[in-house]
Amino acid sequence: MAKSDDCVHILQGLLVFGNVVIGMCGIALTAECIYVVSNPHGAYPLLKATENSDIHAAAWIGIFVGLALFALSILGIIGVIKASRTLLLVYIILMLITFAFEMASSITAATHQDSQTSNVLLKQMLERYQKSDPNNNSDNEVTKTWDELMRQNHCCGVNGPSDWQKYTSAFRDTHSDADYPWPRACCVLDAKGLPVNLDGCKLGVSGYYNSNGCYDAMSGPVNTHAWGVAWFGFAILCWTFCVLLGTMFYWSGIEY
Amino acid sequence: PALTREQLEGVTTASTFVLDQPRCTFKDYGNAVIWLVVALDKDIFNNNSAGPGTPETAFQSFPESVSAYMTLNATLDSYPCPKPAGDITVLRVGSETSCAKDASRPTCNGPLPGPGPYWVKFLALEGSVPVAETAWSKPITLRTAKSPSSIPTAGSGHSAGMIAITAILSILLAILLAALVAMLVFCGSDSCGSSTFSKPESVTVRRYNTHHVYDQPAARL
Repeated sequence: MAKSDDCVHILQGLLVFGNVVIGMCGIALTAECIYVVSNPHGAYPLLKATENSDIHAAAWIGIFVGLALFALSILGIIGVIKASRTLLLVYIILMLITFAFEMASSITAATHQDSQTSNVLLKQMLERYQKSDPNNNSDNEVTKTWDELMRQNHCCGVNGPSDWQKYTSAFRDTHSDADYPWPRACCVLDAKGLPVNLDGCKLGVSGYYNSNGCYDAMSGPVNTHAWGVAWFGFAILCWTFCVLLGTMFYWSGIEY
Repeated sequence: PALTREQLEGVTTASTFVLDQPRCTFKDYGNAVIWLVVALDKDIFNNNSAGPGTPETAFQSFPESVSAYMTLNATLDSYPCPKPAGDITVLRVGSETSCAKDASRPTCNGPLPGPGPYWVKFLALEGSVPVAETAWSKPITLRTAKSPSSIPTAGSGHSAGMIAITAILSILLAILLAALVAMLVFCGSDSCGSSTFSKPESVTVRRYNTHHVYDQPAARL
């Protein structure tokens, strides 16, 4: 009897430890997702305009899943110590539901990374930047966001200023190629926001215009967030899987 | 003349191109005015036939009625020889947009109307007499812009990471659901509980003192 008592205690100890880890990871997941949601870095309006804000849906789900994991882990600890069949059954079922939601969030965040190619952003920029339609609010958002982005990150276009030369665009429709080979925001600007050397910028003399593209500046932070939400969620779920299997085994061994 | 060798982003755009200035090319012609001739067909242009600033060489009629136009006039003072090292000495053909439609400015350096190819040469005139010229350049073709709808945005396919996450998590969820079903079916009623996992409270063996006398010293008789 002593040996199986030990086994019981070891299993209980493991389950309590597992639940403690789940609780802490739940808090961490909530914190991470709150950070992602509340820190929408400059390019968010562009993502919204491409109707690709999966990362935000995934993060919102992650916040609630994290809190649920924390609450359920406490329930689980109580249930294991008291060896109560009802408590543990409730725990297992609720955990499975949470598992399914976190699975959805993790997959959504992972999918987001796939769909953000530079071509989608390039097409959106060419079609909507400086599109002179005063009624369309989201186009003005796109223009304002791009101008901010290009000024702050000292970049031009998605791949470079040649984007504006390789393709026709809404911008090209209203601005002649000779005067504006690329938008003024691509020029190196002084404190007042005017180009330091307009002719140098139009010629493309290095030092007077921004020669690199903005894609790296845009996609970097977003992809890091998506990576974090997706893979941390995956890790939590793998751990939860083990704890749940252990709990089910424990449950089936409890005297009714 | 040739396209500039400087590293400039805008060497050719859709309607402009950049040439090196003709430094140290026209010596001994201090009195001449140096013109740039831009032509779509180099064989038609005749140095003696038409002068600059006339309707036969007006930019505004190019290319419909005129096959070549003359622009960017300068004297030799504008092109000092030798060129100071480190300076960028270029001519941007097509930079004047304000006079492109103004017929009163036939020597306008207006934006080029199409992708070309264009031939250019420099021509030095004293009065209206051509005194020197350079050879025709190689044909210069400008950039053509494509429509943004030609950008391929088809789904790039799913990355390995996403497929791995989806597959593994689906399998885990399936295993958990199966285990749950098995657990409920086999152990839903009282059939699984074994005494090894008994609850803490129910195993307190109460020490029951029987009225049993221990250690009674042997009765001394």
